[in-house]
Amino acid sequence: MTGIFFDAVTLSFGKRKIFDNVTLKFDCRKIFGVTGANGSGKSTLLKLAGKILHPDSGTVNFPDNAQIAALSPEMKIYDALTAVENLKFFARLRGKILSDEKIFELGRRTGLDMKTFGNERTENFSTGMRQRLKFAILLAVDADIWLLDEPTANLDDTGRENFFAEIQAAKSEKIILLATNDVAEAQICDEIIRLPM
Amino acid sequence: MKLFGSRCDCVLAIVRKDFLLNLRRRATFAAMMMFALTTVASLSLSTGGAILDEKFLAAILWVVIFFAATAGLSGTFDDEAQAGTLSTLKLYGDAQAILFGKMFVSMLSLLALTIFILPIFCVLFDVNVEKIFLLLATILFGLIGLAAAGTLTAALTTSAKIKGGLFAILLFPVTLPIFLPAIRLTEISFTSAQVDSSLLVVIGAFDTILILASSILYDYL
Repeated sequence: MTGIFFDAVTLSFGKRKIFDNVTLKFDCRKIFGVTGANGSGKSTLLKLAGKILHPDSGTVNFPDNAQIAALSPEMKIYDALTAVENLKFFARLRGKILSDEKIFELGRRTGLDMKTFGNERTENFSTGMRQRLKFAILLAVDADIWLLDEPTANLDDTGRENFFAEIQAAKSEKIILLATNDVAEAQICDEIIRLPM
Repeated sequence: MKLFGSRCDCVLAIVRKDFLLNLRRRATFAAMMMFALTTVASLSLSTGGAILDEKFLAAILWVVIFFAATAGLSGTFDDEAQAGTLSTLKLYGDAQAILFGKMFVSMLSLLALTIFILPIFCVLFDVNVEKIFLLLATILFGLIGLAAAGTLTAALTTSAKIKGGLFAILLFPVTLPIFLPAIRLTEISFTSAQVDSSLLVVIGAFDTILILASSILYDYL
């Protein structure tokens, strides 16, 4: 995995120019933090990096075979499915079949007790539990690029510690972009990009 | 070959997921069924047991299927967009697999709708089906086209700001080349008239065009 390259990227929303001729490189083995005021374009930068959004001009490149996973408040899981069904479904979309052992392991790593909550519909989950499940999905699909938008929002202290430990363990083989204004999240980043308003 | 296999896996996962969701939240399917049932019952009662022309009966059947389909298929992508799951699905799933998964689910919903409404239609309108296999083939071919066009139209209208009626307005001209021969063949299946198999070929050709066009266009949505 080499990196994500922004080459002269320009993007506007209406008359507001969010990025003007931006050239950037995000390497492997580092956690890149993206900070800035509300509306500065943190989430937009992540969407551009994942090719979820396309720039008005310029290019964003990463290796063709690289897979993306994301954790963001906008991305929802299926309320009418159970935690295990959600996990198995998203993993299956990436060609991964999860065994029961793997599901319990993912639950342990994210602090979501799969024995108790695995077969419960996620509509009954708290916001923090849903966040943990989304985190478990991120770990299950094992993608090359992680786009994390306020990843520990709604997590308790244990959840945050689990997350920080996992992200530190994963950074050696992933490209990780983390959009945040949270001090603790920013502290685990190796490089910070501050977006101007 | 490996890519095809993994896409098929992805399609099956989407079909299974949508089946579970539809089973647990039956609102969409119930709306389709109720629309079809209410329409057929109302028309049957209003005609008061009069003997209707086969051409008219065939048209009624397809109009009921079309409008019941619009009640269900319009939410194919929109329900997910409203729930916020569409962006997650698009991120993790392959675009073509999502399209064909949704198309397959639409097809199964339409088949279930037809299995439900066709016997009721035949009883209430006292229809005597002379050529059952022709009727079944016509319905199968017609539903394939309707599912393909409905899935693409649903994907197109998801991002529209004003959705009311847009789905049906866009779907109707796209499916018209399927409906006209389907109505004619359905009429033939109700009578002892000679079968015009070229009409079935026409529907099959339009089905193929619609599936291919959906596959090509979906990548740009």
